[in-house]
Amino acid sequence: MDQVEKNVGFSGILFALAVAAGSSLFLIPAFIIQPFRYQSAKALKLALVLRQYAPLWTIVAAIVAVSVGCWIWGRAGRVQRRLLVLGMLLAAASATMARMNYFEWMFHPVAQPGFEAADQSKLDVSEMILAVTFNNDARAYPIREMAYHHVVNDVVGGVPVAVTY
Amino acid sequence: MLHFYLAGINNQNFLMRDRETGTWWQQITGKAIFGRLKGATLELAPSDELSFGLWKKESPSGQVLSAVPRDAKKYDSKWEEEVAKLPVPISFPGTELKSRDVVIGLELAGEARAYPFDTILKQSPIADRLGGNPISLVLGPDGKSVRAFLSRIDGADVELFRKSGTGEFTLLDAEGGEWNFKGCAASGSANGKCLSELAAIKDYWFDWRNYHPSTTVYRH
Repeated sequence: MDQVEKNVGFSGILFALAVAAGSSLFLIPAFIIQPFRYQSAKALKLALVLRQYAPLWTIVAAIVAVSVGCWIWGRAGRVQRRLLVLGMLLAAASATMARMNYFEWMFHPVAQPGFEAADQSKLDVSEMILAVTFNNDARAYPIREMAYHHVVNDVVGGVPVAVTY
Repeated sequence: MLHFYLAGINNQNFLMRDRETGTWWQQITGKAIFGRLKGATLELAPSDELSFGLWKKESPSGQVLSAVPRDAKKYDSKWEEEVAKLPVPISFPGTELKSRDVVIGLELAGEARAYPFDTILKQSPIADRLGGNPISLVLGPDGKSVRAFLSRIDGADVELFRKSGTGEFTLLDAEGGEWNFKGCAASGSANGKCLSELAAIKDYWFDWRNYHPSTTVYRH
């Protein structure tokens, strides 16, 4: 009897640690890398280091959380089971989100830039564009498109260019 | 060739990563700040922010980026006005300008200077010296486009003035030689020659100041 209670206690702590570690690896960088909030150089560094480890270690944390959670399920009471479900969901969600680029959910990337001739374009003459010319290859990137997509990868006159806004 | 994608934001300037190495880059500086290529800097390509009408006249055979159909309804031509109202994450109280003031930022021979857009609208063409070099900032015939030039031809400084009293947009040098908005002389002793254009960044003051801490502000 003593043995079993000890095991549940240890497993419970392991479960809590796994959930905390997994969710922190996702949530701390997500909190730091957000708009309209001041980011110090130190905080950004921390966020980027955590982002580097997140893809692998959120999975490890989720596997540990789910395995341990299932292991102690039979011995857990009603309230504890609710906590177990919540923890497993949190760990699994963190592992999923750590491999998602949600910035591109908001601003879809341009998979393959398409172009039209200057005299075919329906763009109003007063609209602003970003202009790049290399080797007589002149390209215009309308600001209204760039303000949404933010990045376009292109080759202009043989020169690889990242157009950003 | 590296392919970049939007990956985050740092004090309202975006972060991108490249698909090839996963390195993190800061947009405005083109610097690799984290990852395998840390320390590398992308070369700033000469570019212009022009009205479409002006660009089309200069580049009639040019190509225009097409709208991505599924995203076209999210494009917003009022975007600049709306962004101007948004809060800023970092500010520089006590500096000459307000956070959301629009500036043209120039860097030459180690010196950085911000030219308030309103000042350019009122005073164009502006003659200045930056990093020991003569430069000109010129507002285009559309009243919206701005270009910056290294204002020197064959070792001689060129100061540009707006030719008044004509409908056609023309700049004049001190000898009366005519220049166009591309920075090329159409008459006079420099006829056929062009000033070299400087890479200019149109930015909000807080963002320019954040990444160019030693910048000065043009005053005249």
